[in-house]
Amino acid sequence: MKRSFKGLFYTPYILWLAMFVIAPVALIIYYSFFDIHHQFTFSNYRVFFESGTYLTMTANSVLYAFLITVISILISYPMALVISKLKHRDLWILLVILPTWINLLLKAYAFIGLLSHDGLVNNLFGFFGIPAQQMLFTDTSFILVAAYIQIPFMILPIYNSMTDISDSYIRASSDLGASKWQTLTKIIIPMTMPGIKSGIQIVFIPSLSLFMLSRLIGGNKIITLGTAVEEHFLTTMNWGMGSTIGVVLIISMVVVMLFTNTKRKGRRS
Amino acid sequence: MSNTIVELKDVYKTYDDGFTALKDISIKLNQGEFYTLLGPSGSGKTTILQAIAGFTEVTSGEVLFDGKRINDIPANQRQLNTVFQDYALFPNMNVFENVAFGLVVHNVKKAEIEQRVHDALKMVQLEKYATREISELSGGQQQRIAIARAIINRPKVLLLDEPLSALDAKLRKDMQYELRELQQQLGITFLFVTHDQEEALAMSDEIFVMNKGEILQKGDPVDIYDEPINHFVADFIGESNIIPGKMVADYQVAFLGHQFECSDAGMRPNEPVEVVIRPEDLVITSPEKGKIQVKVDTQLFRGDYYEILAYDEQGNEWLIHSTNATKDDSVVGLAFGPTDMHIMRYNESEAKFNSRLESYED
Amino acid sequence: MANRASKLGKIYIIVIFLLMYIPIFYLIIYSFSNGTTMANFNGFTLRHYGELFADKRMLAIFLDTILIALLSSLFSTIIGTMGAIAVHNTKRRHQRETLLSLNSILLVSPDVIIGASFLIFFTALKLPLGFWSVLLSHIAFEIPIVLLMVLPRLDEMSPSLINAAMDLGATPAQILSKITLPFIQPGIIAGFFMAITYSLDDFAVTFFVTGNGFTTLSVEIYSRARQGISLEINALAGIMFIFSLILVGIYYLIENHNLSSGRKLDRVEVPDR
Repeated sequence: MKRSFKGLFYTPYILWLAMFVIAPVALIIYYSFFDIHHQFTFSNYRVFFESGTYLTMTANSVLYAFLITVISILISYPMALVISKLKHRDLWILLVILPTWINLLLKAYAFIGLLSHDGLVNNLFGFFGIPAQQMLFTDTSFILVAAYIQIPFMILPIYNSMTDISDSYIRASSDLGASKWQTLTKIIIPMTMPGIKSGIQIVFIPSLSLFMLSRLIGGNKIITLGTAVEEHFLTTMNWGMGSTIGVVLIISMVVVMLFTNTKRKGRRS
Repeated sequence: MSNTIVELKDVYKTYDDGFTALKDISIKLNQGEFYTLLGPSGSGKTTILQAIAGFTEVTSGEVLFDGKRINDIPANQRQLNTVFQDYALFPNMNVFENVAFGLVVHNVKKAEIEQRVHDALKMVQLEKYATREISELSGGQQQRIAIARAIINRPKVLLLDEPLSALDAKLRKDMQYELRELQQQLGITFLFVTHDQEEALAMSDEIFVMNKGEILQKGDPVDIYDEPINHFVADFIGESNIIPGKMVADYQVAFLGHQFECSDAGMRPNEPVEVVIRPEDLVITSPEKGKIQVKVDTQLFRGDYYEILAYDEQGNEWLIHSTNATKDDSVVGLAFGPTDMHIMRYNESEAKFNSRLESYED
Repeated sequence: MANRASKLGKIYIIVIFLLMYIPIFYLIIYSFSNGTTMANFNGFTLRHYGELFADKRMLAIFLDTILIALLSSLFSTIIGTMGAIAVHNTKRRHQRETLLSLNSILLVSPDVIIGASFLIFFTALKLPLGFWSVLLSHIAFEIPIVLLMVLPRLDEMSPSLINAAMDLGATPAQILSKITLPFIQPGIIAGFFMAITYSLDDFAVTFFVTGNGFTTLSVEIYSRARQGISLEINALAGIMFIFSLILVGIYYLIENHNLSSGRKLDRVEVPDR
């Protein structure tokens, strides 16, 4: 009787795992071996690895995601550090979380206005005597807007790992004669590595696939892996090729996971 | 032996990873007695408790309650209750609801619940705390509520898993008296688990000393203290000086190059043995008057006595409890009588130990 | 951590916070502009809000979005909580780790992969795209986050609580309803709210599985934004901002209530898309 009671809990969850986790991944791999005429083929992979277009696109995509991640870390780390030292840090971190509750597309849309020819940014440039620039539909704007959207997601895990550091480590470090800078580089940064790593996980992988941003801010110039998947699935209807790119995306995701996975030791055993 | 309430017969417990937590455990608990399972952590004492309570299944052997096999009866249908080490008070309920829980799940009528909860709280002297939240209670109060909750179903046996370990020393001493009193008042069997030998000696009618999944010795506190079966028990219970020696003949033991009269017998002639002398049985005298001579190394004032650490010529360590201090680095004599020594054989089983003791005592 | 923040540090975070909030306020301010573009504020008006409320189609989309969010959160909270209990009950360590790895696949997968694979899945099942495919997808990608919000509470629960309830004679059903569920309730509520925000925030997955007839706010904003600036979207942003604030408010009120009647939550949850 006890067994069946417990079994009751497993059933819906396992069903979900099978139907919405395992089956879709299996299907995407399966579809990657079919061409547009539903014939079994390896040609999708051959095309992907032989044509320069797809490889360049992948390289570009990884480069964009890398830059977005690096910019996010550079801005977020000092943010998290300062906030963790503030008196009402819970309140301040709430201010970091709040923008994440606002729809991504609205934020992207705001930048269409901000960066447009007569937008706020060009107005400011004009104020300093700089001529108006074409900013929408450029690589730089795409990367900056993506970083803008990702920054809160980078701050939060780093902040969490900072608040986990006990005061006494910092005191011990300065007690032993370390300068503030030495404490930062030798104690705080190494101890917050898990936070940085999970930040990279949260930021890098989605950055590979921000097709809506590249469409809205990057125009149609910037093709990332995500844009290509969307195009193949929803425009050209070549699901085989789309799935192949999807498989490449999944593989790059696994690689990132392997690099950033720190075995988190249980607080409570 | 008709009033046996709980019995374990040849119980083994082996985990999936091959670790054997219990080896051939056979114990009988009588009605109305206070038993203690005493041993270091990992010795299997809590596993025994869990096997009786039904939180863990034994690998082989029988668990009997009131003469009936209960191996396959789930914990919620066993008529015994447990006081947990961390109290396990439900944080989402107040004191009253916690104590009433055992009655509520058995669909007892409201009026009766109120009466019985009130009585149980009175028993632990917390009748005014019924509406308090658990988080508002001190450690000692939580402890009492845990006891009140466990006795609400009127169990025949109460299992207590290191219930005092989280309390400070003073409170722990008070609770020892209270628990003993409560047990006598209720007249039910208590099975108490602890690693604290003082606690065990103070409260129990009978103690089971455990190590590495086995019961090494059982007996009343005085017997276990005075006549430990082996090195482990002697060392674990109380403080002791254990010196290797040789049993020359019955009532004659030799160690440190001297032969002494003792009160033990029944060994082979010239059998190697261990001699136990408790620190409080050693009396400091002049070197000439003492049976052996030691050099004082360190003295610590413990309040009611001095703990003196000394070494004999062969380098054996001696621990002495004395009401007076001596001089550091001075050579003193140690005096002790035949009954102050207890002789232990190597690897003697409990059965043989007991029968040997019976053969020459009285 | 010790040490107070330096002056420079404070200036730094104020600048970054300004940069973080300027786009949002820029958006909202122009929803009151009596013009047609997000340049040159042309005087205050509520015209765009009026147009928005008169837009029957928009209202229907708004209600659909809320309905999807509430329904999917409800179901994912139930299934996710059951999943958390199942994972918590696993005896072997590697069993638990395997379940947790599988659980996190949907959390770390890029949205386009989830969207594309669900699209294939629904097509293979011959399920028509629309309300039901969107609802099922949302339930599916919300389940793992609910599980992750509930599981720590379960792990925090001392096993002796369950043993104590059993010891006092409670049946498994009584243990669940009287001990386990009340204990993990804060995790369940947090999971429910997180699921709502995931649902409201989602664009990519919905975009893939929505088909032609059915639309959510995110998808609608995307297709309108691709056509250029319309201040009606700004008005929508204003309303959604207020809506988010209310949601955050409710969430933190509940959290604080739990906080005062339980242990302190010192970690901030990391919301993800």
